[in-house]
Amino acid sequence: MEQVTLSANMNKEDSTWEPKLLGFLCRWCSYAGADLAGTSRKKYPANIRVIRVPCSGRVDPLFILKALRLGFDGVLVSGCHPGDCHYQSGNYFARRRMAITKKFLEYMGINPKRVQVSWVSASEGAKFAEIVTEITQELKEIGPNRVFNDERQGNGTEATE
Amino acid sequence: MDPTEYLTMKDREMEQKLRSEAKALLEQGKVDCIIGFEDGSLKFTTTPLITGDKDDISRLVINPFIVNNLSVYLTESKGRVGIVTKGCDSRSIVSLIQDNKVAREDIVIIGVPCPGIIDLRKVEQLVGKDRDEIEGITREGDRVIITVDGNKKEFPTREVLFDNCLGCELPTPQECDILLGEPVLPASEEDKVASQEKINSLKDIAPEQRWEFWRNEFDRCLRCYACRSVCPACFCQRCFAEETEPQWLLPIPRGQDNLMFQVIRNIHVAGRCTDCGECERSCPVNIPLRSLAREMYEIVEELFHYKAGMDKEAPPLLAAYEAIDPEDFIR
Repeated sequence: MEQVTLSANMNKEDSTWEPKLLGFLCRWCSYAGADLAGTSRKKYPANIRVIRVPCSGRVDPLFILKALRLGFDGVLVSGCHPGDCHYQSGNYFARRRMAITKKFLEYMGINPKRVQVSWVSASEGAKFAEIVTEITQELKEIGPNRVFNDERQGNGTEATE
Repeated sequence: MDPTEYLTMKDREMEQKLRSEAKALLEQGKVDCIIGFEDGSLKFTTTPLITGDKDDISRLVINPFIVNNLSVYLTESKGRVGIVTKGCDSRSIVSLIQDNKVAREDIVIIGVPCPGIIDLRKVEQLVGKDRDEIEGITREGDRVIITVDGNKKEFPTREVLFDNCLGCELPTPQECDILLGEPVLPASEEDKVASQEKINSLKDIAPEQRWEFWRNEFDRCLRCYACRSVCPACFCQRCFAEETEPQWLLPIPRGQDNLMFQVIRNIHVAGRCTDCGECERSCPVNIPLRSLAREMYEIVEELFHYKAGMDKEAPPLLAAYEAIDPEDFIR
């Protein structure tokens, strides 16, 4: 994971800068939804990198922090609509966890737009494309993720940025 | 100085009762050990006393400085345990029961109705002297009498209490087997507001500058993990901070990793944290950790109307869900 190319040192004004979005997609719904978006030729930005997870309930807030720490500009956690979880209740647990994570990070001063949650079913290819397009646009507006950058540290010997 | 000089009648009565109850518990074999407080090596301090020997019982004390949250020792103790418990600690214990970390029948809760713990730093600031120069601190109801150079000065107790004691919601343990005195009333609304002053001043920082503020604070962090060690809600056998496959964060104290550690720690204890304030008190570099804990406490209350450690039958916050949980943030 440390080898991910990071965008943190780039400027928003830099025309080549593109936000990087990390998506944690549930393999039962959103991942299939993303597939459907592809097979039905929906266009959406290539800014999203996808990690397939068995359930949105698998996503630990630690993953989100780690992604931001590595320099991703945004994180998307996507799972099944309430009531549709393959494991009955995984998405409900995820919902509570994400609610506190998002609020807490907002209090700490991280732009809440960097942490996104969505419900996308396997039949909602169009919705997936739409969400990724919207989030990418929003990330472009707020600019590169500098929350964990090393510039001010001054001793960045082991810095990956 | 006679170590009992700062005791009021009420404290002394409670102390006597505690000693006789603790002795009886040990003698009757109802508990294998007692967790309580004894006088510390420094003036106006106490230190935890864990003992199974009834000869040590006379060392047990109750005074306005019994600050530690002793419930942290429960997860490591074996056999049946009698534990001296203030209101806030009783919530931590209930929270541990909810999480199945301790069994209710294995502990005898000796409840102390607690009118608040005195923050020595506030006393030192108030009289402009340090610990060694202060001769006595006596609490008489809502007044505290501080003796310096033979002169007695009186202050309202609320000025010298710890912030979280000032806004205490549960001064008398709800869950207890033996109560040592008369119940104490919860803090007034006015005091609750006053207790939030320091925390609210941090909330006033503009959102854009907040991250910068915390980055600066956490540059000081030594990663001594004192906050983790004193926290009764932080009971993982193996902490993510020490995992190496994958390595979530570097073990060296770097600002970013320190901050990430604390953010995750707070998320982990969400719904378990009772706002006891131990993390902040234990911090050797004075990072205002309680502000973070308090914020999480309020988020949990606002979103799920849940307060940690109030109901031992309730499922732990993050191990349960309601169909109607808020989801306005979900696309």
